[in-house]
Amino acid sequence: MKNKLLILNGPGLSDISLTDDFYGKITLKSIEDKCLEVCTKLNIGLDFRQTDDEDKLFSYLLKDSEEFDAVIINPIGYSHALTAEFARYRLAIKTLTLQKKPVTEVHIANIFKQGSDITKPLQVPEGEMGFVSGLGVYSYVIAINAIFKKLNKVV
Amino acid sequence: MKVYVINGPNINLLGTREPEIYGYEMIDDIAKKCIEIGNKKGIDVQFMQSNYEGELVGWIQDAIKNKIDVIVVNAAAYTHTSIAIHDALKSFSGFKIELHISNPHLRESFRHVTFVAPAADAVVAGLGADGYSHVIELLSDLPIKVN
Repeated sequence: MKNKLLILNGPGLSDISLTDDFYGKITLKSIEDKCLEVCTKLNIGLDFRQTDDEDKLFSYLLKDSEEFDAVIINPIGYSHALTAEFARYRLAIKTLTLQKKPVTEVHIANIFKQGSDITKPLQVPEGEMGFVSGLGVYSYVIAINAIFKKLNKVV
Repeated sequence: MKVYVINGPNINLLGTREPEIYGYEMIDDIAKKCIEIGNKKGIDVQFMQSNYEGELVGWIQDAIKNKIDVIVVNAAAYTHTSIAIHDALKSFSGFKIELHISNPHLRESFRHVTFVAPAADAVVAGLGADGYSHVIELLSDLPIKVN
């Protein structure tokens, strides 16, 4: 059966356009193109989304995700922001992981380079979640490959 | 491309140590898989493991001396304690990936600090033992300058 994957990009990623010393120019479009290329090769149905609207993001995460086999999320600041939104995000991810749905958090840059006191990946006890940071567009690629392997593992 | 895959303490117990967290695959199986993928991709993979911090530091220094292109490091418990490994990695100018089988940030709070990640270019965690092969598989796609 064809796997269905939801890739969610959080606030601020709509107009991302950065030139990385190592990876070159990265835009949301270049990320989407790469993800689509990899998913097509693996015969995965991809729904690639971005929103700046927090309510929408949580509705995608908690409601729309029911239609998908796995979720990849670039939460930008959500995973470490000290706000009510953080608690909401953490709960949403925990719900997904307890449903045994593969979830992977991805970041374009290595978030630890900014100082580990400031940025932290999401901490969800009891949950199970992949984490990739600092591989540019390839953070998404490795997450897709890992999810594909996990969903189609012959035991 | 030359790659060192450096593994820290207790990784030699893979397959028998808390398999519900780390999986049932043995370290030799993982090493074999990495080397096989490397052979297919024209990447020279050297897989090593030690329970001693100083030996891990020594291998990172060897990587500098031998002009290795990439270090994939799973420092295991030393991730959360070793400034010596942090410093050694900083002296290595090639590409550095911190790897973990589980996701340390979902576990006990003493695993939330990492001295390796700020000295690395990228972090891959929580993809299981397959994380190793996924990383080796990806290396040839990355714009890594080969010595």
